[in-house]
Amino acid sequence: MNKVTQRLLGPLTLLTLVATVILGLWVTPKATMHDGGGDLVRMLYVHPALAWVALYVSFGTTTIASALYLWKRTRSDTMDRVAYCAMEVSVLFIALTLITGSIWGRPTWGVWWAWDARLTSTAILLVLALGYLALRRANDDPQTRARRSAVYGILVALNVPIIHFAVTWWKSLHQNATVLTVSGKVSVHGSMLWTLLLSFIAFTLWYFWLLRARYRLEVRSDQAMQSHLAAAVVERQREGA
Amino acid sequence: MDEGDRVDLTPVVPAPRKRSSNGRTVGVLVVLVGAVGLLLSQGLLRNLNYFVTVDEVLAQKQHYGTDTVRLEGIVQKGTITRTAVGTSFVMDGSEGARVPVNVTGTPPQLFQANIPVVVVGHFVSARSMHFAGTQILVKHSANYIAAHPNRVKAKNGSVR
Repeated sequence: MNKVTQRLLGPLTLLTLVATVILGLWVTPKATMHDGGGDLVRMLYVHPALAWVALYVSFGTTTIASALYLWKRTRSDTMDRVAYCAMEVSVLFIALTLITGSIWGRPTWGVWWAWDARLTSTAILLVLALGYLALRRANDDPQTRARRSAVYGILVALNVPIIHFAVTWWKSLHQNATVLTVSGKVSVHGSMLWTLLLSFIAFTLWYFWLLRARYRLEVRSDQAMQSHLAAAVVERQREGA
Repeated sequence: MDEGDRVDLTPVVPAPRKRSSNGRTVGVLVVLVGAVGLLLSQGLLRNLNYFVTVDEVLAQKQHYGTDTVRLEGIVQKGTITRTAVGTSFVMDGSEGARVPVNVTGTPPQLFQANIPVVVVGHFVSARSMHFAGTQILVKHSANYIAAHPNRVKAKNGSVR
């Protein structure tokens, strides 16, 4: 990421998020009760974008970085760190996806939770993502940790297409895709559609901002660990002399 | 014997052995398999298909008997009646099948005519066509249409 992009990322994220909130809450119209549930439509500017980031952008980052780590030509600590940091951010977005879905589900469906294929497979993804973080803590050796995490990161990504197609493969209470439809046809009206697309951009930018911040923290943490280790070795050498 | 020459005979407690990385990895994987298995047993394994349609149930009426099922169909216009304990209405299948439904409790706020719903319940008896429900779930579409006072509906039902 070059310096200009880095400098613009924060302000752009804030700008698009604020614009989404303003458009979503005050500018866009209510939906009909039949197609959108009146003011409930405003959840449309939050939930699908969170799911987009959680499933595709964030989990995709972990999968690609994990694959690049396992490939000898591109193996590096950077790939391992990116995969790890992206998975941490994934956990946040998957949890927010489930929470906002539940908030929308209660007044719409009439229940906070339903054990249908889409919801259950998403809950499984959250457990698998938490498992990735636990797996990293279980391994002390950095090389072993990175290798095992990378393999695991790729394997759990197999759940993502299951989540995506759950609503078409099986009879699901969850509605079909709103934007990423098989036919490419989107049934969202005018300003509601533009606000929906803006929310996708805003939440994607927010994700990259979070990923960058988490990555920098991880680098600093590794550097601190290395300097502590070096100081401890020097101390030990002095004792031996 | 000097104070300093005394041998400390206190039994030494060995430091607790840390489990190896492999052991902890296996532990994490076991917990994960358990958690995923639990979710699968609650969700996907039981409800890969969350509901059965009115047409499917009526085609295999004997098979379903008075078992509890999640029945899906469209709420027929003009049939919704509030009862002392809940709501009654008629559910339509896509191939002309119809099932009269009585549901106890308050329906969700989006419940209305001409929408797909899923009703949790069972047929009153193996031969009866009456379905007794305990819960209504509204099945929302992926359409979002702005509420507009000047909107007109075309003859084919589309809205501009």
